[in-house]
Amino acid sequence: MKRFFSLLLAFSPSLWAVDPVEADFYKITTFETPKETAIEVGSIDLMPDGRLVMGTRRGEIWIVSGAGSSDASQVSYQLFASGLHEVLGIAYNPKDKNIYATTRYEITRLKDVDGDGRADVFDNVNDSWGVSGDYHEYAIGSRFDKAGDLWVTLCLTGSFSSAAPFRGWALRIKPDGTMVPTCSGIRSPGGIGFDADGEVYYCDNQGPWHGACTLQHLVPGTFQGHPGGNAWYNLAPNMGTRPIDPIPEAFQGDRGRKEARPGGDPDRMVAERERIKELLPPAVYLVHGKIGNSATAIICDTSGGKFGPFSKQLFIADQSHSNLSRVFLETVNGIKQGVVFPFRSGFKSGLIGGRMDEEGRVFAGGSDRGWGARGGKPFCFEKCEWTGKTPFEMHEMRAKPDGFEVTFTQPIDPATAGDLKSYSMREFTYAYREQYGGDEVSEILPKITAAKVAADGKSVRLTISPLTKGHIHELHLDGVRSAEKLPLLHSVGYYTLNEIPK
Amino acid sequence: MIRPLFALLITSAGLPAAETAVFTLKTMTAQMKYDLSEMIVQPGQPVKISFENGDDLPHNLVFCQPGTDTAAMALKQMENPAAAEIALKRNWLPDDPRIWAHSKMLNPHEKEVLSFTAPAKPGTYPYVCTFPGHAMTMRGELKVEPLGEGLQDLQFALYLGSWKQLPDFSKLKPHREGKVDDNLIQVKLDDYKNEFGVVFTGKLNAPKKGSYRFFLASDDGARLLIDGKEVVNDDGIHPASKIKEQGVTLDKGPHEFRLEYFQGGGQIELYAAWKGADFQITPLSKWLHPQWQGGAKKQKEFDPIPLVVAQEPVIYRNFIQGAGNRGIGVGYPGGINIAWSAESMNLALIWRGAFIDASRHWNSRGGGHEKPLGYDVLQPTGEVTPAFFITDKPDAAWPQWDKTKRYDDFKWQGYTLDAKRSPTFRYTWHDAAVEESFTISGDGNKPDGNAKLTRTLKISGALPANAWYRIASGPFESKDGGFIATGPQKYRITAADAQLAGANLVIPAKPGVMTITYQRAQ
Repeated sequence: MKRFFSLLLAFSPSLWAVDPVEADFYKITTFETPKETAIEVGSIDLMPDGRLVMGTRRGEIWIVSGAGSSDASQVSYQLFASGLHEVLGIAYNPKDKNIYATTRYEITRLKDVDGDGRADVFDNVNDSWGVSGDYHEYAIGSRFDKAGDLWVTLCLTGSFSSAAPFRGWALRIKPDGTMVPTCSGIRSPGGIGFDADGEVYYCDNQGPWHGACTLQHLVPGTFQGHPGGNAWYNLAPNMGTRPIDPIPEAFQGDRGRKEARPGGDPDRMVAERERIKELLPPAVYLVHGKIGNSATAIICDTSGGKFGPFSKQLFIADQSHSNLSRVFLETVNGIKQGVVFPFRSGFKSGLIGGRMDEEGRVFAGGSDRGWGARGGKPFCFEKCEWTGKTPFEMHEMRAKPDGFEVTFTQPIDPATAGDLKSYSMREFTYAYREQYGGDEVSEILPKITAAKVAADGKSVRLTISPLTKGHIHELHLDGVRSAEKLPLLHSVGYYTLNEIPK
Repeated sequence: MIRPLFALLITSAGLPAAETAVFTLKTMTAQMKYDLSEMIVQPGQPVKISFENGDDLPHNLVFCQPGTDTAAMALKQMENPAAAEIALKRNWLPDDPRIWAHSKMLNPHEKEVLSFTAPAKPGTYPYVCTFPGHAMTMRGELKVEPLGEGLQDLQFALYLGSWKQLPDFSKLKPHREGKVDDNLIQVKLDDYKNEFGVVFTGKLNAPKKGSYRFFLASDDGARLLIDGKEVVNDDGIHPASKIKEQGVTLDKGPHEFRLEYFQGGGQIELYAAWKGADFQITPLSKWLHPQWQGGAKKQKEFDPIPLVVAQEPVIYRNFIQGAGNRGIGVGYPGGINIAWSAESMNLALIWRGAFIDASRHWNSRGGGHEKPLGYDVLQPTGEVTPAFFITDKPDAAWPQWDKTKRYDDFKWQGYTLDAKRSPTFRYTWHDAAVEESFTISGDGNKPDGNAKLTRTLKISGALPANAWYRIASGPFESKDGGFIATGPQKYRITAADAQLAGANLVIPAKPGVMTITYQRAQ
């Protein structure tokens, strides 16, 4: 039956060849890992000699050699340290040549003084946040930023409240070990990383005040949306006064009976931004169930083209979907926003840690422990590389005052790209409210009134009416073909329009 | 624990219908599992399930037809963006005709009561959570099985006597005999409370030739015989907490049933049941064993992952019961283990034997504090209590741990592993720097191994005035130059300049080297 179907496809005139698939462009290699343990990768960084350093959920730190080789059997592992309390942040410091691990209650500097390949000095760099004993109080740490600081995002107690100091905060640890409270409003972080300019972002997860997972820009002094940890403003004089709380659930009626609130729903991020000046909306909503369910690592393509055409873009790992998504960001009216596209699925377990090397190889791994993952394996350590073939994809999607400009990785077919019927758009948002998660609400089906293909045939300018501030603009390009008549590898993008450009 | 068996009711239509089967099914916090892996009901039985989501994620409870690949069904919702969009609108309830009952998607800490009638057709009906990614582990089975037949013509014979095990009742004269009207094995408590025995005899009909399993639990002894042959023996003086069971092949038709029981003193309990290939565990006694109550099976615990200490010390930083939230476990070669607190900068626990089981933390989401795996666990100074203290009353009670506060005068600095990879803990207290290390002698894995833990503190810099170091809380008995803790854990502690101050064993703190030994007292 399946074969018969393929035959049909083969003789169908519009689909002369079998449509390209993700694996044609990005190859995943799964590494064997040491048998004596479960390498549940929680964090990855690069050493200057090309080796990797990996922290795991079991509290081990492994130095990995040969993972960059084209022969996966060349990989080898050296146990650098063990017995740490869950390593969800790892950072090699080029200045002192030591490894820094973010663990449950401490940033630890590990030194190998006798040079035997195993750490023998474990220094507490900073442990000034609280830990109540709750399993959910994860501490997710960064690499060193351009100022030489480490960042830590601290999950709320049970992912709901804040039973100990700075639960629900992002902290910076200065090179001298002092701690600077930096952002409030964190809920349940999954990963932290930098863009090509060194700006810091983290991923939060669907739950109260989060209709979906999000990519959020950690601008010092901002409130990131979940008020659960805001009691700790009293320990953070540098952050000023505590922001006013968002309205927990403004709607008091019975939604089940389709009751409407006179005057509309005020429980929207865009409305609360007017009231709460410190509130910074998520840069990108990683649309629940479509892009992912559990966002983790943030990986920036700094390889200068060795990972394909997406230089300087961000790749977001997902634990539940065991995939990578792709994010293009821009700054509009002073804040970050952008678009997320599906990119590559099919990793073997739930991704948690990830890092790209200078050769454009993405190393990623994770586990499905406690939160199921599509991959199907209990844990994994893998590599994702560009095959050298360029997929036909949207490259960037930029907001314009009256629509969007979409660029492509390959020249487009002017006939289909200029045809309004090739496109559809849907706008929606999530309620910004205390309940867990939430539906896509306030749907708007705007009109696409123009699709103008650029003279160089590499971009299209869409005019949309209306654009809705605060809404996610879901664009489908099902009819658009490349100059070679190929469909897009991924024909959907979700743009979070925090601001409409002036 | 004595519970009445579900009564059989007669409905208005004249058909027998079982009483409602009531279950409480909870989601296990941080484990992506339901707490019940199996629920057993009768065909057509009314079922009421109180479904409680104590977890931090949304979960539902979806019942499917026998043979449904529930993981595939749940996964299908996410096979492409279009499917996911539809699934999202349905709140992740698959649009699948094999689903015949379900809860709504419960938010964290919500609950819902589900009432339905069990399917008329016997079989194994899987249940699952269909929220994305949960179906692989969050699943169980609703078993729909009819009850088997009960006993017929049940008679009892009561004997008086004091026994430690079952007597040969055939040589004794019954005190009283009679018929059991409801044909259920029972002990009437209005006759005698101690020192009696009962022999039950009756007929049991096997619906077909095949294997059957008999279950017996009693306080005190009992045995069960079919056609004069012993099938299950639960003789002797004991509680009824453990169910004994045995399989036997029976021909189709009636069989002679005999159950002998005796009561010495104390608690009176007697439970019997049988099970066939086509029917569920069917009680033959009026009382229902707590393990049969509700016909549900609890989810299994994790397989242990003991951390084995071989040639070098093993360090385990995680939540250790009795060591607060910043505990550092160290298992030393030689069978002595400690947990040291990076919060109180003090030795929190000492124990002998095996180090620790990591399975709690290395399975699922890893919640909770794990207790030491070995034995003779000593907590010298109470949970998360510093040893250094400024006081003019060293006999006073030391402060209790306040989880919301840190000990500001202490600064945790870390640890250094020596050539044998044994840690030296480093911290400061006021202006003094302290280095603390441990060595082992003897063999802690043997009761008579004379295992000794030697703790060495190197204190440099200035200590505050009136600084004391508390080694342990008593009571103590001073003996042979040492101090024997006479509490639940008997340890012998020695240290130069150690003195008793009320219930405290203390040392006036001063810079230099301080050595303390701990040894299990015989």
